[in-house]
Amino acid sequence: MSEIRKNRGMEALGETNVSACANVMATPSAAMRFWIITMMLVLFGLSTLKLR
Amino acid sequence: MLLALFQWLGQDIRAFNVFNYITLRAVLATMTSLVITFVVGPAMIRWLTAMKIGQAVRDDGPQTHLTKAGTPTMGGALILVSIAVTTLLWSELRNPYVWVVLATTLGFGVVGWVDDYRKVVHKNPKGLSAKEKYFWLSLIGGGVALYLGLSANLPAQTELIVPFFKSVKYPLGAIGFMILSYFVIVGTSNAVNLTDGLDGLAIMPTVMVAGALSIFAYATGHFYFSHYLGIPFIPGAGELTVFCAAIVGAGLGFLWFNAYPAEVFMGDVGALALGAALGVVAVIVRQEIVLFIMGGVFVVETLSVMLQVGSFKLTGKRIFRMAPLHHHFELKGWKETQVVVRFWIITMMLVLFGLSTLKLR
Repeated sequence: MSEIRKNRGMEALGETNVSACANVMATPSAAMRFWIITMMLVLFGLSTLKLR
Repeated sequence: MLLALFQWLGQDIRAFNVFNYITLRAVLATMTSLVITFVVGPAMIRWLTAMKIGQAVRDDGPQTHLTKAGTPTMGGALILVSIAVTTLLWSELRNPYVWVVLATTLGFGVVGWVDDYRKVVHKNPKGLSAKEKYFWLSLIGGGVALYLGLSANLPAQTELIVPFFKSVKYPLGAIGFMILSYFVIVGTSNAVNLTDGLDGLAIMPTVMVAGALSIFAYATGHFYFSHYLGIPFIPGAGELTVFCAAIVGAGLGFLWFNAYPAEVFMGDVGALALGAALGVVAVIVRQEIVLFIMGGVFVVETLSVMLQVGSFKLTGKRIFRMAPLHHHFELKGWKETQVVVRFWIITMMLVLFGLSTLKLR
């Protein structure tokens, strides 16, 4: 993890979830926060049914 | 407030009339409460930490929970502020149901806040005594039930709707309605409070049940949908869609900080209030039995405590390794996150089952 943090280049970030975990977010936190973002995007997507 | 502004503007600019649609305001309410929670959350957590408003962990609980000691609590106040501000912004404030649900939620929140405050700030481990707590909860719950019972002017508002049966409805009468409403509101409040024992365990089922109730509220307040689906039509109930949407947004925003390992706990101020909110919405939209189904996790957690206490008093033996039920599974070796996510999955299935009652009747 510390190696990843030292190297801030794009290649060190990997997937966004790896980056989140490397930046001191615990794995469950990262997973649940990604779920929350997805839920909001799904709600936003569903709202297109009505908002047109 | 914003609705009144847009309705005034709509007299000159027709585009503003789009805000009359409950569905649009529900989406905006979700977004608003989420943003409020995200913006206020970090500052509030810093403040709670600075004020040393930290959770005391029961020493007879699972050993893995000892590391949680000192985590800021009373974060439920953040949820309540977010819900209240959002509801005031996006709801039709001339609708009495909006004020009923807001008053119930904030009233239960105040009782929870006093309990938390005494426990955490005054370092009084008992907080409010059980008698005091149930007196105040009963007073508020009973008052709300009384108001709803006395203000009902349609038979549908006091009938017990049985899911899956289109024509089975039991007229409860004013007294029966008030008794049932009291137990649903106070019972749900305490059930959510008992469930609030692991990171994220109470908030996500609350979000899911509130989301489902928002659909029930919308259909119940809609003349055509209610007749098509065979559910009672209750004028004005549709406005509760906005309130439920605010719970969804605030709840998801809170989960951001409450996900394992939690940065903040909701405390009684959040749990009692959110439970009461679900209860009172279910009472207004006449879906008490469906709430019982969808909130199955809350029900089972409560039953586990009742059975454990009853069994221990009668036989001296415990049924579960520890109550409420989530601790039982932890002691069986499940990781905290496994218990939480599995209980979420169960709630998702129960909510889907509850929603299916809209059509299957």
